[in-house]
Amino acid sequence: LPPNGTVERAALIHREILQLAVLILVAIGAFLLTRAVAASNRDTNARDAAEWYRRGQQAMATGHVNDAIDSLRRATTKDGSDTRYMLALARALAVEGDADGARSVLVTLRESAPEDAAVNLQLAQLAAAQADVTEALRFYHNALDARWPVQEAGARREVHLELIRFLLTQEQAGRALSELLALSADLPDDAPLRLEVAQLFAKAGDNRHALEQFQEVLGLAPENGDALAGAGQAAFQLGEYPLAHTYLRRAPTEKDDVKNTREIVDLLLTHDPLAARLGSAERRRRLEGDFSYAQQRLSACLEQRPAGSSSDVVSGLQSEARTFEDQLKSPSALEQDTVEAGIDLITRIEHVVVQQCGPPTALDRALGLIGRQHGAEPR
Amino acid sequence: VSTPPRAQQLRLRENQLFLILTIVIGVLAGLAAVLFTVAIEQTSHRLFGLDPSRLRLFAVPPLVSVLTGLLLAKVFPDVRGSGVPQTEAAYHLARGAIPAHVPIGKFITGVLCIGSGHSMGREGPSVQIGAGLASLIGRWLRLSPQRVRDLVPVGAAGALAAAFNTPVAAVLFALEEIIGDMNAALLGSTVVASVAAVIVERSILGNEPLFHVPTYRLMHPAELAAYAALGVLGGVVSLVFCKGLLALRGLFSRLPHRTKVFQPAIGGLVIGGMLVYSPAIMGVGYEYVDQALNGGMLLKTMAILCVLKLAATVMSYASGNAGGIFAPSLYIGAMAGGAVGMVVHRIAPFPTGEPGAYALVGMGTLFAGIIRAPMTSVFMIFEITQDYQILVPLMVANMLSFAISRRYQPVPVYHALLHQDGVHLPSPVTQAPMSVRTARHLMWTDNVPFISPDLSVEHARQWAREHDAPAYLVGTRDRLEGSVTRRQLEQWYESGKAADPIVALLGDSFVHVHPDHPIDVVLERLSRSGGMLPVVSRTEAHRLEGVITPDSLLTFEHRPLAGEI
Repeated sequence: LPPNGTVERAALIHREILQLAVLILVAIGAFLLTRAVAASNRDTNARDAAEWYRRGQQAMATGHVNDAIDSLRRATTKDGSDTRYMLALARALAVEGDADGARSVLVTLRESAPEDAAVNLQLAQLAAAQADVTEALRFYHNALDARWPVQEAGARREVHLELIRFLLTQEQAGRALSELLALSADLPDDAPLRLEVAQLFAKAGDNRHALEQFQEVLGLAPENGDALAGAGQAAFQLGEYPLAHTYLRRAPTEKDDVKNTREIVDLLLTHDPLAARLGSAERRRRLEGDFSYAQQRLSACLEQRPAGSSSDVVSGLQSEARTFEDQLKSPSALEQDTVEAGIDLITRIEHVVVQQCGPPTALDRALGLIGRQHGAEPR
Repeated sequence: VSTPPRAQQLRLRENQLFLILTIVIGVLAGLAAVLFTVAIEQTSHRLFGLDPSRLRLFAVPPLVSVLTGLLLAKVFPDVRGSGVPQTEAAYHLARGAIPAHVPIGKFITGVLCIGSGHSMGREGPSVQIGAGLASLIGRWLRLSPQRVRDLVPVGAAGALAAAFNTPVAAVLFALEEIIGDMNAALLGSTVVASVAAVIVERSILGNEPLFHVPTYRLMHPAELAAYAALGVLGGVVSLVFCKGLLALRGLFSRLPHRTKVFQPAIGGLVIGGMLVYSPAIMGVGYEYVDQALNGGMLLKTMAILCVLKLAATVMSYASGNAGGIFAPSLYIGAMAGGAVGMVVHRIAPFPTGEPGAYALVGMGTLFAGIIRAPMTSVFMIFEITQDYQILVPLMVANMLSFAISRRYQPVPVYHALLHQDGVHLPSPVTQAPMSVRTARHLMWTDNVPFISPDLSVEHARQWAREHDAPAYLVGTRDRLEGSVTRRQLEQWYESGKAADPIVALLGDSFVHVHPDHPIDVVLERLSRSGGMLPVVSRTEAHRLEGVITPDSLLTFEHRPLAGEI
């Protein structure tokens, strides 16, 4: 400040204020200029990124994965804000077998968007590819819990199904079942979808829910062959043979398993001596028929074996069979106890025959199931 | 209410003005740094296009370097290289005065050099541009020289904060590197400028981090040994870089002066050839650092890029182009670290972190080894990761790299570069407090005897016999070549070098002091000088200011210092 005089001091202060004002104006001008230049640069980068992305996708489509990776990397460098580029890069890296690289890209992306469904889904798929159940479950759930637009509910369900399929391949039936129960609680009336859910229930070993879902499908599409077959199989597994027969009767028989099951069910329903509403003649006929078949199987089995190699079990069964043959001739043959004892003996013979003399026939299996149904257990 | 005393009023007004200026300079320096970054990207885009051909990769660097060579030789001669050493010199030796053409020239040549593919960084030039703007504004506002000087690190911190998006590291860099004192009173001002610059930068470029860094985890305590090995490797690579840079730059500086205009183009030609082989070494190269951090590179690729980038940066810088070594040191460090990480990942018998974590630590390691700012390095990586867990391995690796680099390259690279230009910065060890008498008080300036540098040893010996003194200066007052003792002359004469000119026998450096060196430094160096200690300028190390002999000490007349009664 000048040593004296308020006029000089005021002039100095005015000059400084003016200079500061000029500086502030320059700063504002520079800010606007820089912002405009930066925006133009951003547009250029976005255009370049889009072009690299296009080239990357093209390279992926033609199977040039390395070129695709290179292009997609450039796209992500030019415009890091577009998650499509990062996701495409991660996908390309995963295809190339660079799981670590793909995971790294996705983890980075996830840090900025932890609830992004697509990012979590890709991370889940990477973990699934490496059979890492814990990580896969975590990321699949993150993906499922993410905010999905209403119109993408189908895509969300598809992710859920993907998780269930993965769990089943990893023999995690319990976890798969809990996911299936959650999924089935909110299914639309969509026959193919319900059919898949029913099949997954069946695969997970829950035939009751599988049957329910198959029945739902049949409600929507009564002649759906897969649903009929599935429902028949589920009912068969549940021991509901008449119901199984109803479905399997209508199911197409192109598939061997459907044909075989239907044959067994037919045999089951026509050979069970303890079936309801049977006349005494029919009951006797069935018991005699079953027993005679079991005896033949046992004799044939003994003939196949080298002399002197028959065990005490087989000899015991032969002796029991002879005794039971005598009982069958008596009037008490149709008493409940005798029929049950007969079924028990047939079951035990079938068990030994199947164990020692080759693959079971359809009737062997049917007789075994009849025995099991009536509480006969092989000893 | 009593009016405050006049001196207090003055201080108060200047302090208020300084605070406002700090904010304005922070904003302007930040804007300049952002504009510089964007301009480099745009230039690179225009010159190389989306997918350059091999011919274009080869031709662009030398062709543009012809233009920048002209600019650097004829229009902006003092804007070559990084800008950090020049800023330090302006702060310590020129009271913060940076000519107006420097920030302008640095901006233009920096954009052209880095944008045309030279392997150089944008942070160093940003520092010089920010500091230059600050100095310009301070002088325009007619602030006191001390205040103008104080504004230089403020502008530098603002520019660096915006260029690297790390405000704390920028403040530390200004204190550690520019001022050279971590306890500087300018801490508050640099913080304010740094924050203002970062706010501006983020408002324009968004909050996108410079690098996408994966979450760091120390998987096993034994991993620290691997990080220590990385620190040792980082120290060695830093040494190779510094020694190589100084050697090649020395080679270029010894070429005839008329070639100076073409030297950047020679560098451009070499860089063009390297770009044809590997375009990944082009320019700043942060996208490749990002790839290394995220495990997107193969071991072989990283090892090759580490070597190529080092060679390219040394060539670009040494040939006199405008650009920094800040970004290349991070690049080289990331590649070296990533490569070490991959090897460790493959052979270690214990669980190890991702190679990206090693790349990250490698960045800090090379920065600590080359730039020699260990605190800045640690905080910079910490700011990038925002992860406390990385601090321990980072500090282990950084300190080892720093120690190795300092052991075998005692002068930091920025100071060594200034030495090559004849500028000697005061070091904290030899800096004299205000109250201490210095070489300036001891030296005498009249009747200094000089031996002509072209004189043969035989003639010099004869001349010395006629002028009794323990040692003699060789050269002139404006171009001092060194000093020689009588004993040295006798030895050269007896070893058959009688006809050789003296200047050919002198070493590259000679024992000297600067006028501001304290007496204890003078005494130590006088004992090594042979009895005739030249006092030379700090800004022109070959210009003689005076001489000190043992007699100077005996005849030293006590003169009161300024303010002393």
